[in-house]
Amino acid sequence: MANVELVTGVPVARRESIHRQRLRFGYSLLAPAVIFMAVLVGAPFFFSLYLSVSDASVGNPVARFVGLQNFEAVFRDSSFRQALRNTVVFTVIAGIFKALLGTLMAFLLVQEIRGKKLIRSLVVLPWTLPVTITALAWRWMFDSQFSAVNWVGTRIHLIHGWPNWLGEPGLAMASVIAVNVWRGFPFAAIVLMAGMSAIPLEIIDSAKVDGANFFLRYYYVIVPIIAPILLVGLLFDTVFTLSDISIVYLLTTGGPEGSTEILPTRALEVGIQAGALGRGAAISLALFPILLPVVYLLLRTLKRREAL
Amino acid sequence: VTGVDVLSDRAAMAAAGVRRVQTRELRRHLLVYLGLIPFILIAVFPVYWMAITAFKSDNDLVNPAVFPFWFHQSPTLEHFTFLFQHTYYGSWLYNTMAIAFWVSVITLAAAVPAGYALARLGLPGAENMGIGIFLGYLIPPVLLFIPLSRVVSMSHLIETKWALVLVYPTFTIPYCTWLMSGFFKTVPPEIEEAALVDGCGRLAALIRVVLPVSIAGILTAVIFAFTLTMQDFLYALVYVSISDQKPVPLGVATDLIRGDVYFWGSLMAGALFVGIPVAILYSFFLDQFIAGITGAAVK
Repeated sequence: MANVELVTGVPVARRESIHRQRLRFGYSLLAPAVIFMAVLVGAPFFFSLYLSVSDASVGNPVARFVGLQNFEAVFRDSSFRQALRNTVVFTVIAGIFKALLGTLMAFLLVQEIRGKKLIRSLVVLPWTLPVTITALAWRWMFDSQFSAVNWVGTRIHLIHGWPNWLGEPGLAMASVIAVNVWRGFPFAAIVLMAGMSAIPLEIIDSAKVDGANFFLRYYYVIVPIIAPILLVGLLFDTVFTLSDISIVYLLTTGGPEGSTEILPTRALEVGIQAGALGRGAAISLALFPILLPVVYLLLRTLKRREAL
Repeated sequence: VTGVDVLSDRAAMAAAGVRRVQTRELRRHLLVYLGLIPFILIAVFPVYWMAITAFKSDNDLVNPAVFPFWFHQSPTLEHFTFLFQHTYYGSWLYNTMAIAFWVSVITLAAAVPAGYALARLGLPGAENMGIGIFLGYLIPPVLLFIPLSRVVSMSHLIETKWALVLVYPTFTIPYCTWLMSGFFKTVPPEIEEAALVDGCGRLAALIRVVLPVSIAGILTAVIFAFTLTMQDFLYALVYVSISDQKPVPLGVATDLIRGDVYFWGSLMAGALFVGIPVAILYSFFLDQFIAGITGAAVK
């Protein structure tokens, strides 16, 4: 009824009360989500800031303020520094391979060919399988005795001898990176495909009319359009990669000799398994400065795209 | 030169043109298939190896003398019967479903109204609030699992599956709010305006008119709440250690390994039994997932 009156012109005061009513309705709809997120994401985040400057441990509920001691101790610890280095190496190298393979596969998959749907559902399998299951499957693929990778590799003469993939530092790092790439490249490809199919055909056609050959077209028309999409995919993937623990934990548990230790596994060992909550929180928070620019860039790119 | 000759010449040229197009098409198809074959092999082979392992008898599995990627003794279901008779696999399946159910309920209760409010009600600052909620999806469990362990132990849910019901919505709510908000933007505003004119309150209009046409979106949100909970390992590992309280991914990864002994047959059987249905479900909704996280701009 109220809205009918609104149309026919109502006193200003009345209209304002309707406006306020709508706002109240809106905020009460938002409340459950906002409260849940504030209590279980916002508050814990600030709580972890507090933990990181305290000497809290699992057995000791009353914590003392210790200033930046945890951070100092953490940065002096060589296994932390190794974990930090590994995290960066792992994320960057895996990211490059995912971008390359993902782009290549996206270009093949956007072609109009028979059986496209079936092929697509097969090649995205690595991404759609739950990651824990992926990690277990690869643990078996890299088994020291029955490695399927070695069995195939030696027979097609790609691999010599019988390498113990998860047992030697360099190989272990290569293995966890390979598994992360295996899991992540279909995601990059699918994000790119979604973006490419949104490119209006007219743009490509007009470039053709203007006499641009394939490479010029590729360079001036397609790259500028898909580069931001690839960026979005990669940034998302970086967040997923930085926060994923299951591949490293289930394949190597950070070993051998800490060669695949990353910040998440280190935080788990120190904060939970050794019970030093404060120090563990400090280790997790070391991820924050890495994560912050990624998230900022991601939100900015998404926002700009939406404005277009 | 007669008219008939000209005509048949043209027909011949046209036929040659068609043939040229056909051979070009064939060549293009072959090239694309050739390029895709390595990708297909790499993507499918580990899954195939899992499946073979799950159905192989133990003797066959560890026989180094034979070609490993096929059966040399008849396929067996012994790993599956082992799972159900000698492990908590049945409980893990039940836990996974129970967790998925309650997480979906909590997620929908929060995300559907929030998504609607963000999409429709023109609230001042709605965009920033939406980004704020989505930020929750980008703050990874790795930053939260230590402080949350205190919250979980204070709630006395620690060690049980209910701990996971409490924490999983921290990543399903942001994602599903974003998804629902995008979905509600596609519902024509006229239908709820009509309901409002008919004298419905805003809440009644939402429940009676908007929700029934949004079933597809809500179903998608449920699917993602389920598949996203299946991706977690860290929270389950940290908060649940009682064997019969574990969800499948954690149970398979922790209880089927005794020291250095891996029960590979049962491990792969248990992993595939839930992995394949989840993967199939996910791949049906993959496009919506991508559209959901990259925003409405990428369709």
